[in-house]
Amino acid sequence: MRRLYFLFLFTICFNSVSGNKRLAVADITFKNAAYDPGPDPAPYADFKTLVVPIKRAGNLIIVEATVDTLEGNFVLDTGAPYLVLNETYFRDAPRIADQDAAGINGASSGAFATVVHNFNILDLHYDRLTADVTDLSSIENGRNIKILGLLGTRLFSKFAITVDLFRNVLYIQKLDKNGNIPETERVFRDRFMVSPIRFLNDVVFLKGSVNNKEFWFAFDTAAETNLLDYDKCKKLMDNMEVINRAKVTGVGGSSFEVIYARFDQLIVGDRMFMKNRVLLTDLEKMGKAYGYGVDGILGYDFFVRGIFTINFVKKEFEMYIYTNQ
Amino acid sequence: MRHYGHIVILLLLLTGSMSKAIGQNRNSLIITEDNLILQLDLKSPAKELDSILKIAGISSSNTGKVLKGDFSGLNVDGWKMSAHENNVVRFERSLSDLKENPQSQPYLITTRILQIDGRPGYPENVKYGFNKYAKITVYGLSSGLTRFILPGYQQAKRVFLSGNFNSWSTLKGLMKKTDGGWVIDVMLAPGAYEYKYIVESRWITDPNNLLQMNDGGGNVNSVFYKYNYTFKLSGYTSAHRVTVAGDFNKWNANELIMEKKGDAWEHELYLSDGMHQYRFMTDGQWITDPANPVKVKDDDGNLNSVLNLGETVTFKLRGYSNAKKVFVAGDFNNWRPDELSLKRAENSWVLPVVLTAGNYNYKFIVDGEWIADPDNPHYSIEKGGKNSFLSVKPNYTFKLKGFSDAGTVILTGTFDNWDPNGYTLVHNGDEWTIKVYLKPGKWLYKFRVDGKWIIDPGNKLWEQNEFDTGNSVLWME
Repeated sequence: MRRLYFLFLFTICFNSVSGNKRLAVADITFKNAAYDPGPDPAPYADFKTLVVPIKRAGNLIIVEATVDTLEGNFVLDTGAPYLVLNETYFRDAPRIADQDAAGINGASSGAFATVVHNFNILDLHYDRLTADVTDLSSIENGRNIKILGLLGTRLFSKFAITVDLFRNVLYIQKLDKNGNIPETERVFRDRFMVSPIRFLNDVVFLKGSVNNKEFWFAFDTAAETNLLDYDKCKKLMDNMEVINRAKVTGVGGSSFEVIYARFDQLIVGDRMFMKNRVLLTDLEKMGKAYGYGVDGILGYDFFVRGIFTINFVKKEFEMYIYTNQ
Repeated sequence: MRHYGHIVILLLLLTGSMSKAIGQNRNSLIITEDNLILQLDLKSPAKELDSILKIAGISSSNTGKVLKGDFSGLNVDGWKMSAHENNVVRFERSLSDLKENPQSQPYLITTRILQIDGRPGYPENVKYGFNKYAKITVYGLSSGLTRFILPGYQQAKRVFLSGNFNSWSTLKGLMKKTDGGWVIDVMLAPGAYEYKYIVESRWITDPNNLLQMNDGGGNVNSVFYKYNYTFKLSGYTSAHRVTVAGDFNKWNANELIMEKKGDAWEHELYLSDGMHQYRFMTDGQWITDPANPVKVKDDDGNLNSVLNLGETVTFKLRGYSNAKKVFVAGDFNNWRPDELSLKRAENSWVLPVVLTAGNYNYKFIVDGEWIADPDNPHYSIEKGGKNSFLSVKPNYTFKLKGFSDAGTVILTGTFDNWDPNGYTLVHNGDEWTIKVYLKPGKWLYKFRVDGKWIIDPGNKLWEQNEFDTGNSVLWME
């Protein structure tokens, strides 16, 4: 129901790429209308603030969790709507939904939807979670770390999460009836930026501008750099400085080009960010994966600027300066 | 005169606008709406050209050509010359390529673009090391285990030990609370380790450990060395100061200060497997190790003691009693054919050789003729020839059950760059096996059964590959 509401609202606000009810995770678009397992039960959380140590793999944020008895690494991924499990380790999980036979890139894939029970991040306990199972080998091979899955946003929909990359800590906090972090539980106070957020298919979107041109950015903690859609930012090229041009070999061995560039004057919320690094590429397929057209993606180069909080209930994004605790 | 002046001004203006058109920086790369514009000054130093060509995504092997006016490399890469004036040449390249991106997730691009050197937090190729603790809170037990103690933090609910020895797990190394602090015993092989404690979910370095290492990924970790060797010098009891130095520590005679224990001087440390040269310094005088008969003269004419750490492998070739000379050569000695000479023994030729952990190919050379080891069923094919295969300190056994009718079963994977000739398995009972040495990390592999590639039916873990045929996955912890 909640998803339908968002779809209705944002079909008016945005130009929906898919046009019908589809969900996408990793490189797979799911015909979700065929099966709706209903919302997962709320997690059991016997804490006000849960402090979780995090690790880093490249620019990825790694959180350890356990699925039943299996413990391992998960990537914190605000670009994924829910839990995604790596096919390598969950191929034999029970299949509960049909899915497209092919991934967006046309390559065949064995992706499917499943349900896992007894999922834990320290003292945060989920009895049951709907998850997609897909191939995450590119992260493992690119970062040489065993990855069981991705932690998408729905896991935290009742909480505020704060990531301190300087101390490598994640805070998961319960909210008061107004959707705020209770005053006594606030860890950081020196806020330098705040912005409302929107959820499209449970993916975090932030409004911003580059050199005064307005953009809608997906905020994706699994993006190791910022990305801008080349077509959408063509007129801004005069303000870009090329860092380098690179060839990338994609899934299936295809090769394509990207340009890594630098620009000033990125405004998000009430704050201007200078010296932003960004990959210029075509984001059409990524928009399809998010379920909505996307002008740009704010990743590591953006969120490393401060300690950041996503309040999923109040729909607010905040940044705090590192030196304050 | 006035008319002439106009011409001068016009000329100056023209020159000015041309030089502006060609750009103010001699070398530059500019991005416009539809094009990249690359400007090169062929008179600029090769280093500068190298750097701009690198930014433009043109391989550095083209720099030399470009300097000679050969722009074929740029043409192949889609650059079109748009201006050439004296030494300055300008190319343009369409940005239409940027409209083709088949990837649907940012990480599919970024994990490929942002390369990471090595594996931060996993020390590699450390030659030697010794611990520096303000208070000894990490030490070996007689059981062979290593005890880590973190004193204090009595109010903490949970404390973990996390390091490269447990894949930096934040869940596995749960410590026990005792009166003396938080304690955990772990099994460590000799080597260098990085670690931290996690107290109430917050990472801290070991407060009693003075040795720290930046992991290159923005983290500072504590360092612990699990020892495997003790330098010992008997006598010299009246000496005031005895140190040991070697090629491993660049002959620094002020670092490894030995301790007097009874009538001998000692220094325990971690020393990597392989060949080391060393000497002692007693009150300023260099001496070789009187207890070590193996000595060698270095390039400067100094006599050094030689230490060879690793596994002793005895190469043995049966028969060939009429041969005059038998050598062994392999990738462990860069295939030098006349270096490792086997000694004649009863009905065979033998030579013990100390090797470090790893996988090797080798051959015997009998009176100049290269032959594979007739007693070793494990081999690999290289350039049509057969090399014998040897794994030193193997830590994993690949097994393939069944396939009893197969002629050959070959193992290949990321450990041998997918060499289709791989390593040959041996048929034992109802399975094919081979033992290999693998470093920690992820390995992909397949078997080739009579030329047909298959994933390992005994391993549930596999991932898709570019041929849609899958690769088996193995994690070495």
